[in-house]
Amino acid sequence: MAVAKLEQLSQSVVQGPSLATGAIPTKDWMDIPVVFKPGNYAFPAKKDKVEYLNSQSGLHFPNARDWSPEDDDWQLPENWKEIIINGLRERLEKFRSLKIFMDCCVRCGACADKCHFFLGTGDPKNMPVLRAELLRSVYRNDFTLAGKVLGRLAGAREVTPEVIKEWFMYSYQCTECRRCSAFCPYGIDTAEVTIVIRELLHLLGIGINWILEPVSNSNRTGNHMGLQPHTFKDNVEFLADDIENLTGVRINPTFNRKGAEVLFITPSADVFAEPGLYTAMGYLILFEHIGLDYTWSTYASEGGNFGLFTNNESMKKLNAKMYAEAKRLGVKWILGGECGHMWRVVHQYMDTMNGPADFLEVPKSPITGTVFHNAASTKMTHISEFTADLFKHNKIKVDKSRNDYLNVTFHDSCNPARAMGLLEEPRYVLKHVVNNYHEMPENTIREQTFCCGSGTGLNTDEIMELRMRSGLPRANAVKYVEEKHGVNMLSCVCAIDRATLTSLMSYWNPNVGVCGISELVGNAIVLDGENRAELDEGLRTLL
Amino acid sequence: MELTEALHNNRYTIVDKWVVYTLATYQATDFLNKEKDRFANPIGSTIRTSLKTLFQLLLKGGDGAGYAEPLSQIMHLRSVQEFTPSQAVAPLNAVKHIARDILAADKQTKDLVKDLYDFEFAVDLAVLAAFDLYMQCREKVYRIRIAEIKSGAAILTDSACPSKALKNIRKINE
Repeated sequence: MAVAKLEQLSQSVVQGPSLATGAIPTKDWMDIPVVFKPGNYAFPAKKDKVEYLNSQSGLHFPNARDWSPEDDDWQLPENWKEIIINGLRERLEKFRSLKIFMDCCVRCGACADKCHFFLGTGDPKNMPVLRAELLRSVYRNDFTLAGKVLGRLAGAREVTPEVIKEWFMYSYQCTECRRCSAFCPYGIDTAEVTIVIRELLHLLGIGINWILEPVSNSNRTGNHMGLQPHTFKDNVEFLADDIENLTGVRINPTFNRKGAEVLFITPSADVFAEPGLYTAMGYLILFEHIGLDYTWSTYASEGGNFGLFTNNESMKKLNAKMYAEAKRLGVKWILGGECGHMWRVVHQYMDTMNGPADFLEVPKSPITGTVFHNAASTKMTHISEFTADLFKHNKIKVDKSRNDYLNVTFHDSCNPARAMGLLEEPRYVLKHVVNNYHEMPENTIREQTFCCGSGTGLNTDEIMELRMRSGLPRANAVKYVEEKHGVNMLSCVCAIDRATLTSLMSYWNPNVGVCGISELVGNAIVLDGENRAELDEGLRTLL
Repeated sequence: MELTEALHNNRYTIVDKWVVYTLATYQATDFLNKEKDRFANPIGSTIRTSLKTLFQLLLKGGDGAGYAEPLSQIMHLRSVQEFTPSQAVAPLNAVKHIARDILAADKQTKDLVKDLYDFEFAVDLAVLAAFDLYMQCREKVYRIRIAEIKSGAAILTDSACPSKALKNIRKINE
C-alpha cells in the first residue's frame, strides 16, 4: 500500500519527463529535446543591433531577424545547414586546436562533474564532455569516416533545427570558465568548444542581447555602457570628489593625455556601478599615493571584451582598440585593472590577433624599477602584479587596521586564475592590507576556483534562477568560511564578479559583501596630507 | 517498542531512502548520491545534511520550531532549480510513506503503523513551512532582479547609445 502511494506521489507531481519520476531518464541524450521557457534562456539579440554589427568593418553578424527561443520555428535561413557545415569546416581548417579537441577526447569523464552548471542543475548535458558532444556528434557525422559509415553507432548525428536549439541552450549554460579544462588529461580547452558553437550560431543570426548590445556599444563609443567621453570623465571625477570628502585629499586624474608614461584601462563598470566604484576609488588613491604618471582614456574606456563571447572577429576588433589608443597617446605600456576575461584575451589571444605590440616598451614600474618580463609581448601588466611589487619594495604606506571591520576571503576570478596564472599576487596584496583573512576550501580556489556562474555575458537578470543555481558551488564554499570563520567580505579581481557575486551573495549568503582588492588597498593607504574622518565602512562610508 | 524508538532505530535507513528519493528528482541521480565531498557535490550534501537534521526534529514533534533552518537550505536549492512549486516540496512528503513502509515490513514494528499520526502531522507542518520558504526564496530572486536593475547594470542594454540618440535627433530635425 505504502509503496503504491509513494509512487503515486512521484507521479502526481510530474510535469516533465525527467522530474520527480524517481528514475534516471531511459532515453539517450540525443533523443531528449530542449524546452525553452521564461527564466531558462537569455533574451535574443535585437534585430537592429545585429544589423548594426553586421554593417561594421571587420565584423560578420548575418541573418538578423526578430525571433524567440520559445517559438517552434526559429526562422533559420534557407541554407542554414550548408552555413553550419561550411562554417564548421572553415573553423576546423583555421583552428588546429578545434580539430584536435574534436578528435582526441576519450570520454574519460574527468571533466564530467567539474562544471558549476552541472553541479547546480544536475543536468547531464551540462557535463563538459557531453556539452562538447553536442558539437562533436555533428563533426563526426560530416567530417569523419567512422561517423559517415556507422552514424549513431559511432556517436554521430545529423545537424537538425533541434540540434541548433540544443546548441543555443547549452552553449549559453557555459561561462567558458575552464575549470573542466584544468582536469582534462588531454588539456582540451572546452571553453573553445563553446566559443565555436556560439560562433556558428551567430552565422545563423542567433545570439543574446546582453552580449551583442555591449559589443555594439563598445564598437561605437568604446565601452559597454555606451558612455560618452564627457560622461566617462565626469564619473571618474565624481569618484575623485568622493575621495576628497572622505580623506580631504584632492585627486586630479587626467584623460587622453598624450605623453603619459602609462595608460590605465579597466572595465567601465568600475567607474559606473556599485560595488566596482569603490575599486576605482582604490585605483585613484593608489596612483596618487605613488605619484604614477598615468592617464585614463575615454576611447579605450573598457577593459571588458564581450567580443570573446561572440566570435573571434569582434574579439580582435575590440582588443585592438586598447592598443590603438596606447599608440595614439604614445604611452610606454598599459596597466590593466581588475577585469576577468580581458586578461584571457590579452594573455592568450592578443598576441596572435593583434600582437606583438612592438611600439610599446616592456612594462617597467617607474616606482620600483621592476621589469615585468611576463608581459614582454603584450606590454600589459595586471594591477595586482603591479601593486604586489610595490608592497614587496615597501613603497606603500598603509594602516591595515582600517580594514578591521572586514573578515575577508578571496575568490579567484576564473580568467586571471586559469588563463594567466594570477594566483599569488592578489593574496600577497591582501596580506598587506587586511588583518582578518581566511581561504575557502582547497578544491574551490586557485586553479580549481568555481565560477561566479554568470560569466561570458550571462550576467543578465532574466536568467536569475539559472545564475543562482550555477553559482551554487561558489556560494556553498563562501557559506563554509562564513560559518567557520565569520567571513563577511568576498574579494575578487573581476568586474563581472563584483556585479554578479553581489546578487549571488544576496541570495545564498546575505551577510557577505563583495569588493575588489584595490578597494581594500585604497582604504588602507595613508595619503600624504590626509584629513580622514572615522570611516566605519571604509570607502563605502556615507558622510 | 514505542514508535519514537522504532523510528529512531531505523533513522539511518529512513533518511537514506528519503535522500535517495529526493535526489532521484534530478537527472544526475547517481553522481549526486555517490560524491561525498560537500564542495564537489553541493546539491547532494545539502540535501543529505538537511534531511538528516530535519528527521531528528520531526521525531521530536512539537510545534515545528526549528524546521526552518534545514528546510531553508533545501528550498533555497529547489526554488531556483527547474521544478514546479509542487515538485519542489513533494519529496518532503515522501518520508511519511518511507517510514510507514519500513515499519510495516518488520514484524516487530508493524503494529506501530497505526500510531504514526503524530509523526505524519509533524511532516505536514514541515511541508507547509517549506511552501512558505519556497515563496520567500522566489520573492528574494525577484528582489535581487530589481536590485540589479536599479543598480544601473541594466543600462548595458537599455540605455540609448549616443550615436543612436544622435540618429533620433536627426530624425526629429528631418
